[in-house]
Amino acid sequence: MSIVTVQLGQCGNQIGFEVFDTLFSDSHSSQGLCSKRENEAYQASCKERFFSEEENGVPIARAVLVDMEPKVINQTLSKAAQSGRWKYGQHAYFCQKQGSGNNWAYGYSVHGPRHEESIMNIIQKEVEKCDSLSGFFIIMSMAGGTGSGIGAFVTQNLQDQYAHSLKMNQIIWPYGTGEVIVQNYNSILTLSHLYRSSDALLVHENDAVHKICAKLMNIKQISFSDINQVLAHQLGSVFQPVYSAEGLFHYRRNPLGDLMENLVPHPEFKMLSLRNIPQMSENSLAYSTFTWAGLLKHLRQMLISNAKMEEEGFKDPALYTSWLQPVDAFNVWKTQRAFSKYEKSASLVSNSQFLVKPLNMIVGKAWNMFASKAYLHQYTKFGIEEEDFLDSFTLLEQVVASYYNL
Amino acid sequence: MGRRRRLAGAVAEAGAGALPKVITALSQSLPAGPSPEIFRRAKFDRPEAAPALWQLLFRLLSPQSADGTSASPALEAQACWVKAALRSQGYPRLVLAQLPEDGSRGSRELLLALSWLLARGPLPERLLAQAHVQLGDEMPVCECEALASPGPRAPHVEAEGPVDIRCVQWLMGRLRFRWRCLITSQQEQCALLSKIHLYTRGCHSDQRLGHLSVAETEMLRDPEGGQQVRAGARVLAPGWACTPGPGPRSFWNDVRPGRGGADGGRSCAQLCSAFQLLRRLERENVGLEAALEWRRGELVFWRWMDTVLGACPPEAPAAATQPTVLPRIAGRGLGQLELAARELRALQEELCEASERRRAAWAVGGQGRGPQWRSARQALQKAVEQELAALRRAWEQDRGPARPHGPHRLVRREDEAPGGQYLRAAEVIQALRNQEACLEAALHRLQGQCRQELARLAGALPGLIWILPPGR
Repeated sequence: MSIVTVQLGQCGNQIGFEVFDTLFSDSHSSQGLCSKRENEAYQASCKERFFSEEENGVPIARAVLVDMEPKVINQTLSKAAQSGRWKYGQHAYFCQKQGSGNNWAYGYSVHGPRHEESIMNIIQKEVEKCDSLSGFFIIMSMAGGTGSGIGAFVTQNLQDQYAHSLKMNQIIWPYGTGEVIVQNYNSILTLSHLYRSSDALLVHENDAVHKICAKLMNIKQISFSDINQVLAHQLGSVFQPVYSAEGLFHYRRNPLGDLMENLVPHPEFKMLSLRNIPQMSENSLAYSTFTWAGLLKHLRQMLISNAKMEEEGFKDPALYTSWLQPVDAFNVWKTQRAFSKYEKSASLVSNSQFLVKPLNMIVGKAWNMFASKAYLHQYTKFGIEEEDFLDSFTLLEQVVASYYNL
Repeated sequence: MGRRRRLAGAVAEAGAGALPKVITALSQSLPAGPSPEIFRRAKFDRPEAAPALWQLLFRLLSPQSADGTSASPALEAQACWVKAALRSQGYPRLVLAQLPEDGSRGSRELLLALSWLLARGPLPERLLAQAHVQLGDEMPVCECEALASPGPRAPHVEAEGPVDIRCVQWLMGRLRFRWRCLITSQQEQCALLSKIHLYTRGCHSDQRLGHLSVAETEMLRDPEGGQQVRAGARVLAPGWACTPGPGPRSFWNDVRPGRGGADGGRSCAQLCSAFQLLRRLERENVGLEAALEWRRGELVFWRWMDTVLGACPPEAPAAATQPTVLPRIAGRGLGQLELAARELRALQEELCEASERRRAAWAVGGQGRGPQWRSARQALQKAVEQELAALRRAWEQDRGPARPHGPHRLVRREDEAPGGQYLRAAEVIQALRNQEACLEAALHRLQGQCRQELARLAGALPGLIWILPPGR
């Protein structure tokens, strides 16, 4: 089954490119460390998910690119074409001349409705290329204007038009120090809207990824490209094929469906985090709660100590909420094939309290600004009223409370 | 019992040798039926006969395993399932429910349960109809069978202590995701079927059909069927994790021009080559003959069952008062109809009685009330009348031309099909849409009721703010 990726805004397009490049290089890497047949099955499975085929044999990413400025899209398209190994579809992008000026309301209420038809048409064409559609993977930032505003708008449209298809949003949490003054407003609007229309939010914190680059990869001057590569590596490690069950030697057909069924069945808990080792060490655990630190330590230990995976450490009920049995809460998926030059690696996708504190902080900051009505007119003038803000606050307060009470 | 005894006398002269023959026929017409020896031992409640009978009952009662392809679970799980399924179907004997689930005892009870199932309806016929060899791509055009037999209800489990509502919501969410995955799989199946039908256009010798079905394509592709078994054992395609049953994916990869089967997908045990098809047809024939044989000699079996029953210790009186259902050979679906009609009559009587009592109570209580009460009563009466009229309309519509039933072969045609026996997809879709609309209306009504109830509960707790969960 196939996944259609929608890349939105500068951030989404840059990350999207890295993700496809990672997926492609990994599946065509000669360092798979497995049998030829295994490798072929792995490649075929990856291709079915993320690439379609054209006459001349160059795989085409199942992706739609959307931005309101042409610069990044042009760069992305040409980078892919230059690689000579894969490319984007000829008509699979949409761009305009003018951005959203970091105003969520402008992206959501002006750009979105204005270009709704064009964008949804391009997406529909991409969907029609799939024999079967598992769902959508939507990559966007959380705090900007275009990616987050149009992203929320497009996700809502996808929910209306493809109600049965799955929707996972990959969102980038802004730096705590802040790039944009209204980032907290944008963030709460994005999150609350996605909470209504998406099935799962896979969150990456810029701060955390930055630290991985600095501490683990020893990069001196960290660029966005470095950060995006780390992100792409983590995403690739989750979306590449794995076996469906112990002893059954075929790959999962519906990775998005299986992930969601296990991770986000409860409608109040939709926020997922992703960790991957080796690449991180305990240094990067500063923002984790104690239990997760323990988890990761174990993830790490079992990789170092023994070739066999031992899953006993995850069966401790103390790791999970009281209303779920460990056997329901925890699942292991495996493959013999190595991922991206790492002979052994493990990734952990979890639905946990890891984001409660940052979320609470963002909601708090946004509320303080809202209480003094700072910058509100910039939103109301494009149709996002105080009422909408209040709705967003209510919803997110509820989410925070639910996570705290786990 | 009386009828059985009377008839039993008539076949008494059939002789002692008839019984093993009849039981053999019965065994052959059931999936994985045990030998007559097992039946004989079960009469004497010998423990070694129990596992085979648990297994047999499991196969008979579980809907998926009728085709014999799915793996059987452990004996404990089978026993647990059999108990639950029998209970949900109204099996009257309590002794069975008390049997240990390790499958070590109770072969006589199991034999009684089996004969109860046989007596309730034409079991071998039903199973044979379920497992019959299909050559075309068949598809049911109505949901009436699914609705008529919703399967055994899940066993009622008493929770130890309070259940966290979040756990229920979590399970509900999982179900929703599975449902969505199922829809996606079905859509994929349809898309691929359509491709095969398009690609094999003009290949069929039968002009009315025009194209090949999945099974026919497979026969052409691999007439020996030899490689297929090996390939299936070697790699199950990535294509086959969640689509159950025969599937068109592997064919599509093979019949598609200029492309190899990239998925390496040759898998399904149900897809048959010519050789396998022949074998399956032979098996089906054996089953059909055995069912005939069984029908002819059935009474010998029932006479013998009377002796089995006689060997049982008497049961508690509460269970003995349950009505006994006599064996009968019913037409397809007729038995269910009769059962439903009887239940309906009973319900109607109950309803009349209840409403009479209610009316009487109303009349007494309402006398002293004012005009407000009278207007409320009028509004209620009006609502009831409207509901009744709607029901009548729906009934009239339903009684129109006989609605199509059962599985139909899927045939793709460009031109207009001649009328008569054919059914057009558009008509089926329309009928299903109507049904969907009805069900949705019912759902909305129920949701409205729930909402009102919630509002009432919320009103009863002052100082409490209700926030609806986001989404879904």
